[in-house]
Amino acid sequence: MRNTLLTLATVGLAILGLYLLTQAEGSSGLLSALTLIFIWGIAAVSLNLINGQLGILSLGHHGFMLIGGYVTALLMLPEKERAPFRTRLLSDWARNHLDLDKWLRGAGLDFIANSIDLKFVVALFLAGLAAAVVGVIVGAPSLRLKGDYLAIVTFGFGEIIRLLPNAPEVAALTNGPLGIKGIPGDAGTVWWTFFAFLFVLWFLTRLKFSSYGRAFEGIREDEIAAEAMGVNLAYHKVLAFTISAFFAGVAGGLYASYLQSVDTQTFNFFVTFFLLVAISLGGLGSITGAVLGTAIVVLVRIYGGFLEKPYPAYVGYLGGAVVMLSAFAFSAYIRKARRLRPVVETKHLIFGALGVALLLVTVLFRNEPWMTQTVQFFGLRKILLAVILILIMIYRREGIMGRAEFSWKLIFGPREDIPTEEQRKQDAWLSNPDLNPDAAKKEDDDASA
Amino acid sequence: MPLLELRNLYKAFGGLQAISNVSLTVNEGEIVSIIGPNGAGKSTLFNLITGVYQPDRGDIIFEGERINGLTPDKVTRKGIARTFQNLRLFTHLTVLENVLIPQHHRLKSGWLAAVLRTPAYLKEEEEMRKMALEKLSFFGPRLMSFRLHQPVYVLSYANRRRTEMARAMATGAKLLLLDEPSAGMNPKETKEITQIIRRFRDEGGYTIVLVEHKMNLVGEISDRVVVLDYGEKIAEGDYKDVVNDPKVIEAYLGRREE
Ligand SMILES: Nc1ncnc2c1ncn2[C@@H]1O[C@H](COP(=O)(O)OP(=O)(O)O)[C@@H](O)[C@H]1O
Ligand SMILES: [Mg+2]
Repeated sequence: MRNTLLTLATVGLAILGLYLLTQAEGSSGLLSALTLIFIWGIAAVSLNLINGQLGILSLGHHGFMLIGGYVTALLMLPEKERAPFRTRLLSDWARNHLDLDKWLRGAGLDFIANSIDLKFVVALFLAGLAAAVVGVIVGAPSLRLKGDYLAIVTFGFGEIIRLLPNAPEVAALTNGPLGIKGIPGDAGTVWWTFFAFLFVLWFLTRLKFSSYGRAFEGIREDEIAAEAMGVNLAYHKVLAFTISAFFAGVAGGLYASYLQSVDTQTFNFFVTFFLLVAISLGGLGSITGAVLGTAIVVLVRIYGGFLEKPYPAYVGYLGGAVVMLSAFAFSAYIRKARRLRPVVETKHLIFGALGVALLLVTVLFRNEPWMTQTVQFFGLRKILLAVILILIMIYRREGIMGRAEFSWKLIFGPREDIPTEEQRKQDAWLSNPDLNPDAAKKEDDDASA
Repeated sequence: MPLLELRNLYKAFGGLQAISNVSLTVNEGEIVSIIGPNGAGKSTLFNLITGVYQPDRGDIIFEGERINGLTPDKVTRKGIARTFQNLRLFTHLTVLENVLIPQHHRLKSGWLAAVLRTPAYLKEEEEMRKMALEKLSFFGPRLMSFRLHQPVYVLSYANRRRTEMARAMATGAKLLLLDEPSAGMNPKETKEITQIIRRFRDEGGYTIVLVEHKMNLVGEISDRVVVLDYGEKIAEGDYKDVVNDPKVIEAYLGRREE
């Protein structure tokens, strides 16, 4: 009860914060960052369902997002945008039948057809559905495979799906490599993506903490044991894969609306790669972690722009010195926290020495021309992300959150897994009856009886 | 009608005949022990019954129905559950979750109902919880209270064995196959588990087939003992008769090393 209230209060605060932000001036950068976090958050959380909760490495997520993107685009494209490529490429049949407006009016649902927002709800649902159907078709045969083999197959399917819009037979619908432009941007706004994100979080959290979620995690922990305990492996794998594909499709639709365009490069393999980095960073298997990881990655990509601006060379040297010295301090800190001796390992001294050397060089040669000339490091953001990932994999392989989820109980209690003093005593008593004279006596009685 | 009947089972791994011509009947309410030296094929026999491996020849009949060819999850749903010689718990999940997962196959609510937390689903979940606690309470209070919510990896070895047995029972099976239930337990814990296995039968109504190396446990609770050696059944009967059988002494007790 208290926890529900706290959750509602948090959501309320988030809505208020978002509202104030939309009213504030000069906040458009932050708003679009948030929008992207929400969209990629949906995709990351859905990928986490397969990779984290079910424990299967799937590399085809971009394929499902692409399906969602194209379906949303085709359903929502206004008539005037549709007209040029329609008349040029679209077959008569498609021109006459593939029309969401017509379907809705045909079903007597004019009120939906008249509202672009309601139409988007329908379109996004259908986008998810299309991705889910493809998910079943791809998943059912390939989920029999395990480990690396499955990863390769999902990657292959993802790429096939991605290249499909270019195929001549399909191009009539998808406008080929040119892609589709002029998609209404209504669903790509911060409010839309925020509520979609909330809904997906709610849905997948509920799923995780249900009997089905437990079955998924059982499969991750030990497939053989899960099967021996009556869990139907094929059914549950395909189920998780399909639900995941559904939300990937929704995320793809939202992203297409955000960009107001979609083509085969919008959802290339780097999308999946980016999502994998995000969920590994946050902690595989944790929904909280997936969101956190996405936020970090998106923020680095958007606000890391200053890293790639032109600077005088000494800034680079100084930066190098700072990185080296912090690496040195960080390693010492980690070793101290883990009670390793010696706190300063000899080989880590190299970092410290390099840092000091760079610092000296900067100070000594600060007026030399090679120090003051302008340089620019392209791709530094990506390098930074890679370095963060490497550090996480070395020092905290399970990711920031591990498998844990955020919960109010974690903060305010009661923690059910921590024993009270009394429980602890009883437990000690049970695990070592020898120390308890009463127990020993009782056992003797049992033996003589 | 016997609960479980094995008829002339054969299983080979490459050139190795792991099980050859083994027949066995287990009646309802019995405790049957399978003993034999390491590599005799005891675990393989369990794997055949539970559908992990398919027999090369022979029939496995459970409650009058032939069950060879079924996948392990279907065998479990028919009413046979097992524990593993080298523990196979869901290590990062809590004790309670470990004992809830085996009940999942009985859930009638679909996944959407589970997400929406419909009253029917909540009722089922409540029943699953009750069943889990009931099975865990076979082992006294030690897995109850806060231990319920701790991940399995913090448990002692003996507690893990107990959790695994509770997990097998929670599947709703009639027949339990226990593969070395006392492995890794000290004498005191072994004594306790002997009592508990008997209570599985007397109070829980389970039929039990177990593989065991500790002869005092076997002697104390078995209605019948079956001896395997090199995949063949070399003796069957009362504990006393079996351990005095010269063939058994030669095969098993003769080179017994514990
Ligand atoms: N999957 C397998 N592949 C090959 N050989 C196996 C396999 N499983 C068991 N075996 C062999 O079958 C024989 C019986 O093994 P097992 O049933 O585990 O013996 P135990 O009686 O000690 O439980 C052993 O020689 C073992 O090496
Ligand atoms: Mg064995």
